Amino acid sequence: MVAYDTGPGAAAVTAESVRRTYHLAEPIHAVDGVSLSLGEGSFTAVMGPSGSGKSTLMNLVGCLDTPDEGRIEVDGRSVGELSDTERARLRGTEIGFVFQTFNLMPRLTAVENVRLPMVFHDGVDADRQERAQTLLERVGLGDRLEHEPSELSGGQRQRVALARALANEPTLVLADEPTGNLDTETEAEIMELLVELNEAGATILLVTHERAVAEYADHVVHLLDGKIEDLEHLSDARDVTAREQATEGAGNRRPTGEGEA
Amino acid sequence: MNLRESLRISWRSIRAHKLRSALTTLGVIIGIAAVITFMVLGGGFSEDIVGDIEAEQEPSMTVQTQTTPEDGFGVMLVETPIYTESDVDALEQREGVEYVAPQGSLDVVQTTADDEQLTGAVDAQATTADRFEHATFVDGEPFDGADEAVVNEQAGQAFEANLSAGDELELTFEDGETTTVTVAGVVESELGDQTPPQVFVPADEHYTTTVETPDGDEERAYPTLQIGAEGLDDVDPVQETAVDYLEDESHAAELKEDDDEIAVQTVEDAIEQFDDLVGQLTVFIGAVAGIALVVGSIGIANIMIVSVTERTREIGIMKAVGATKRDIMQLFLVESVVLGVIGAVVGVAAGLGFGYLGVWLLGWPMVYPLEWVAVAVAVGIGVGVVSGLYPAWRGARVDPIEALRHE
Ligand SMILES: Nc1ncnc2c1ncn2[C@@H]1O[C@H](COP(=O)(O)OP(=O)(O)OP(=O)(O)O)[C@@H](O)[C@H]1O
Ligand SMILES: [Mg+2]
Repeated sequence: MVAYDTGPGAAAVTAESVRRTYHLAEPIHAVDGVSLSLGEGSFTAVMGPSGSGKSTLMNLVGCLDTPDEGRIEVDGRSVGELSDTERARLRGTEIGFVFQTFNLMPRLTAVENVRLPMVFHDGVDADRQERAQTLLERVGLGDRLEHEPSELSGGQRQRVALARALANEPTLVLADEPTGNLDTETEAEIMELLVELNEAGATILLVTHERAVAEYADHVVHLLDGKIEDLEHLSDARDVTAREQATEGAGNRRPTGEGEA
Repeated sequence: MNLRESLRISWRSIRAHKLRSALTTLGVIIGIAAVITFMVLGGGFSEDIVGDIEAEQEPSMTVQTQTTPEDGFGVMLVETPIYTESDVDALEQREGVEYVAPQGSLDVVQTTADDEQLTGAVDAQATTADRFEHATFVDGEPFDGADEAVVNEQAGQAFEANLSAGDELELTFEDGETTTVTVAGVVESELGDQTPPQVFVPADEHYTTTVETPDGDEERAYPTLQIGAEGLDDVDPVQETAVDYLEDESHAAELKEDDDEIAVQTVEDAIEQFDDLVGQLTVFIGAVAGIALVVGSIGIANIMIVSVTERTREIGIMKAVGATKRDIMQLFLVESVVLGVIGAVVGVAAGLGFGYLGVWLLGWPMVYPLEWVAVAVAVGIGVGVVSGLYPAWRGARVDPIEALRHE
């Protein structure tokens, strides 16, 4: 078990006893007291059964949602205390989000979808188009620039979503099952791309159901019922830490440090 | 986000819903087209009448009685004969006055020339030869004697024979009596093409309307006088003296109804008054048409609200990739302003088109109401902003997580 501390380098994301509760007939704690620190430039996978709170956690880290309890810091700023506009800026400039459901704009072409984050982030006007094209070429969609999402396959949409996430050169990339609809070959290409980004300095948090995909990461967070069940280190990097909840049986299923780096 | 990008995205969504966008702008188009059409018609009407009137200044003025109708606006002519022979004589004595020509209509129901009978078409007026002092004759000269008459060009052309000096004309009165006169001259109408066909005969022999004066005598009285000044420089002082006399000392002052007003107008005064009236009327009708604009902007607002709800998910996506509330506001506002401007431009084009068709059918000159075109475009933008504000605000408030869940 790793004790909670801020880790060796500066942390890109810090969560402290974060809880997100949905009030239905009875309250559902989708994320239930998660404490986690992701060092800058770390590569972490999140695994867990369906409904364990993976997407909810991603939304919180991605500044789309705010915790009901506890505190999340992204880029040194406490997300819950930011204004709507500041959160929007943070999403636009520091974070690249690949959604489980892609969330592409239906009436915009692939290249326009990739341009979108640049449109809301007033950068240089001229290279937007060029940069969007380059990104699409990088995910292997150079020949689908002018296609609307409805004219693309599921895997192609997913790759457009990934290209869009990279539009503003984010320092934090959040990917919710980015390879869910891909064949092994394309999956490998996409994962290589994420590894490349990570090596270039981006912090990456990735949700996956597949062990093989998780093994591209240096750390694996196992979620169960909104709690961190286990934190697994696949490499020597020790820049990701978690504080375990005192839950019975936690951590027994997967011994730490089992995987190869 | 810069404006060009929001225009691009807004234009996308307008084009994606062509039919809906077209129907949305229809209200604005109809409103603005109606306003512009009325402005063109009003301008054309005014131009047609006033444009014909010879700008040539004449040292003469007309005395008439006017009243303001109880419901409605503008002025109405009152045809009551209140200007007595004594008033005419008194005015003639005033300094600078060259002549005073009374004028009153005769109840002529039919005019016949060369076996061609015109019923009710020609208006017969009794007056004196002085009335033609400043008139231009296209043929002949003023009447001189009981059995002579002057016709205006319109009356001359009303007959197939096209009357000219020397022709015979038979007038049939309401009581069945007839009298035959010889056309002494054909006169040009100073009020242009709109003047009705008229025949003038000497008042001394033909005019019989009398009233009881305040002094208790029976005197002939007329509903209209024409006063001629000695020269152009005398027009203003004569106008002043005439007003003073008529309002304070004349029989007319006592004979007129309390609400009636005695108006002494030169041709220019009359044009000015007429222009004013047409202007007021046009603006009034324009304002009614403006109601269509209000309905139009409600239409835009309504569609925009629907559109915000429909695009909740898209708003969520945009927010997720970094759009701020302001960006979303801007997108929806730009969209509604674009709709408003399209409505205004199409409306102006349609309005000018309908107006053009209208004046062409009516034979009036085309007038381009430029200031109203500017107003229309401004209103289009205004309608866009006003009707887009609330929907845009609603769009901006959408919570990204909720929105992304929206299907
Ligand atoms: N808006 C919501 N209202 C109510 N409950 C919600 C809401 N969003 C998520 N939940 C609940 O929170 C829990 C966690 O959901 P989440 O989407 O984070 O799961 P997940 O781990 O991403 O699952 P999957 O692998 O299927 O994507 C679920 O039980 C879900 O029912
Ligand atoms: Mg999920």
